[in-house]
Amino acid sequence: MNVLKTKMQWHQVRQRVLSENVANADTPHYRGKDLAKVDFQPHSVVPPSAPRVGMVQTSAGHLAGRAPSDDPSFKKNGGPNFQVRPNGNQVNLEEEMTKSAENQIDYQTATSLYQQSLSVLRTALGRKA
Amino acid sequence: MDFIQSMKIATSGLKAQSGRMRVISENIANADSTGRTPGADPYRRKVPTFTSHFDKEANANTVALGQVKKDTSDFKTRYEPGHPAADQNGYVKYPNVEPLIEMVDMREAQRSYEANLNIVTATRRMIQKTLDILRA
Repeated sequence: MNVLKTKMQWHQVRQRVLSENVANADTPHYRGKDLAKVDFQPHSVVPPSAPRVGMVQTSAGHLAGRAPSDDPSFKKNGGPNFQVRPNGNQVNLEEEMTKSAENQIDYQTATSLYQQSLSVLRTALGRKA
Repeated sequence: MDFIQSMKIATSGLKAQSGRMRVISENIANADSTGRTPGADPYRRKVPTFTSHFDKEANANTVALGQVKKDTSDFKTRYEPGHPAADQNGYVKYPNVEPLIEMVDMREAQRSYEANLNIVTATRRMIQKTLDILRA
């Protein structure tokens, strides 16, 4: 159940990232983003959080802040099949729409599984499923 | 809730594209607007720009229509000595609007609008699925 919850939260955040890409599909010099795949290792079963604002090191004695770009839960789009439009925009609308559909289907799977496990619990409790 | 933020971002895209559509329709409507006095400048084509800015509430980069700039390219001229806006040589300045380019731009705006709308629909469906858990 917890794993499913994490997955659902991940899909929620991904939907936000994808809608950000689509909304900025005509913004000059915009680079598309995507979430890194959810990792079910015990140490990282936390939902990928939104990027934080990084700290600037003003003195050598200060602690180094983690810049938002260092956040492993976010990754910039990249790869060989990559197109840049003349205005510097790097969002591929078709790709984003496919990703959005994929995200939606995966989310649906997760919610269905969640529902199923709920009904299993109900059966175990002796109630009608 | 992240889904609401997704909707907000997509809405910003919808707004920006409809604003772009407004500028395009203005250009097309004024494709033949000449000046009134001899030698006067006609309508100058407008170019919409997009800017991405960080929305603290949605915690994401939303898009907005930036400044509407003027196209600085040269006007077209046509020889029409009888026209009220004709100069001494009989030439009338016509707007630097190219209907074909505007139509292509319009198509693009339409597609981007549809894409944003699809995101809203997809997000809505996901919210619906979440609510279905409660119902089961």
